[in-house]
Amino acid sequence: MIVAGVDIGSQTSKAVVLKGDNIYRSALFPTGTDLYAVARKVVENAAQELGHTFDDIQRIVATGYGRVSVPFAADTMSEITCNAVGAYHFYPDARVIVDIGGQDSKAIKLNDEGKVVNFAMNDKCAAGTGRFLEVAAETLGVSVAELAALSRRSGNRIRISSTCTVFAQTEIVSLIARRTPQEDIAAGLHESIVSRVYGLVNSIGPGDTGRVVMTGGVARNDAIVSLLANAMKREITVPEDPQIVTAFGAALVARSRVGSE
Amino acid sequence: MQLILDKLKLRYSRRNTEIVKWKDDTGGKVIGCLPMYFPEEFVHAAGLLPVTLFGDDGPIAHANRHLMTNACGAVRGTFEDLLLGKYDDLDGVAAVLICDQVRFFFQVWSLDHEFDFFHQMWRPFNIDQSSRPFLLNELKRLKSALEEFTGNAITPDKLCESIRLFNETRSLMRALNDIRKTRPGLLKASDLVKAIAAGMIMPKEEYNSILKELITQTRDSDYESGEKPKVMVCGHPCGMPEEEILDLIEEMGAVIVGDDFFTGSRYFSVDVPCSGDPVEAYADFLLNLIPCTTYHYPQNWIGQDRSISTYGDYVADHVRENGIQGVILLREMYCDPFDLEFVMLKKKLEERNIVHITLNTGHEAGSLETQRTRIQGYLEMLNC
Repeated sequence: MIVAGVDIGSQTSKAVVLKGDNIYRSALFPTGTDLYAVARKVVENAAQELGHTFDDIQRIVATGYGRVSVPFAADTMSEITCNAVGAYHFYPDARVIVDIGGQDSKAIKLNDEGKVVNFAMNDKCAAGTGRFLEVAAETLGVSVAELAALSRRSGNRIRISSTCTVFAQTEIVSLIARRTPQEDIAAGLHESIVSRVYGLVNSIGPGDTGRVVMTGGVARNDAIVSLLANAMKREITVPEDPQIVTAFGAALVARSRVGSE
Repeated sequence: MQLILDKLKLRYSRRNTEIVKWKDDTGGKVIGCLPMYFPEEFVHAAGLLPVTLFGDDGPIAHANRHLMTNACGAVRGTFEDLLLGKYDDLDGVAAVLICDQVRFFFQVWSLDHEFDFFHQMWRPFNIDQSSRPFLLNELKRLKSALEEFTGNAITPDKLCESIRLFNETRSLMRALNDIRKTRPGLLKASDLVKAIAAGMIMPKEEYNSILKELITQTRDSDYESGEKPKVMVCGHPCGMPEEEILDLIEEMGAVIVGDDFFTGSRYFSVDVPCSGDPVEAYADFLLNLIPCTTYHYPQNWIGQDRSISTYGDYVADHVRENGIQGVILLREMYCDPFDLEFVMLKKKLEERNIVHITLNTGHEAGSLETQRTRIQGYLEMLNC
């Protein structure tokens, strides 16, 4: 049985093609403006990696904000459920998932069966998301990866008071003009994003047992993971490929629905 | 059926021009009443047409100059309409001061715009032994003000007659709502709130006959309800809920079978008693409405370890009694009464294992796409 999950995010589109229980390949492309084209391309690429073609796939489930623009998908499912299904598959003891993507962040609470019992998403703006870090990195003239490295070298973390991405950018420009060291600005930015995400996590009543898993592109930023772990006073597990967990969950949902109609 | 619903929605959307037309046709006078709980029957008994003022939900271009940033959508929308001259054809305005925002800003109305009739009615926030005499006095004050404005005496008979007419409206609205409950999906929630709101801007005599025909046609419909998760939607205590959100909830696969909107159950759930002195009966009516976030129940605040929410119990009971699977809370930004009750309401829903979600709504509240994800995620929780 070959199935696929495709996660059309605001910044990046991901696909996982799953064969049998555990053999899978993934692909990832920038989303761009043609959602249908990128969805097709990312699924085709993942299928090719597995030595198959698009037509070999028996069922596809689409998720992510662009899920409604994937006409070849048999079903759509929210990224909340797909993320939970994916994370629970890799870590059956996962009870809290923190997912920080390009333009949204989510906190999801699972019960012992892996069912979503509560969730929260960021409101209104890009504060507390990957886009916040991208804008900040651009303003400082470094890459997102360099931003994390800079943050770790800070000896004097400053406070970024603006929670709005655009206003924070203005604040960074002002800090640069005052010759604040880049390291300290970077550390303040990381602190800012973590404080937003920590508030989100607290709003779902995370409890104090079970594994905390972090997914999404920002989970690759070990400075964020470390700061959030400190704030939560919990260890945080980051999957090997945190960006594809939601697409993987969508593929698992597709597998569970093959032959259901 | 849909034709009547569409006509009522059109009447609602043209509510300001409807006023002009009614005045031209009848030569009568119109009093605009801010939501909610205004004793419309008194206005009617004085020979005037009471119309509820719903602000426009478009961009706020003028009101923001005068209002603080945390004014709610209902206050902003109505004040914007006032500044745009949309209420120029009203002969008067009146409001029950249901919250601090209405209390503050309604006084500003009188400074900005001179109306022939302007009346603020106080209402007790705490329901206790002192509430009834206070409310009774306020109703008598309203009666006198209307009599002075019109020169018409509001006799007990006239008031009873108006109460009976408005009770008939509430009864018809309840009948329509019962159909929504027993045949889920037959009536779209967004159609229903507009159909109810139309009744607040039209003469009740005309509206009731339209509603009777709508009920007949709705009962005759051969629509068959499917198996969809049934939800109750609460929030927006006094304003019009966003049509897009209601449609999104139902497009995503749920069916709304209960609500707590002013343009819904809150308006028609309870009748005014028709026996005895009508002014006293009206005071009792206002004190025995379904629980509301704009009322305080002082006994709820006594004790540290008690989780009491009269409003939360009302919502939870409604859910359990009607076989509803979950609750969607529409948390209108900057609505103080709802925000104050919100924590206790959530706690109560959690205690009673009622799956719920909160959607922040109101002016500039965020994109519909993120709401789509939240709603879909929530409905998947219900279906799992």
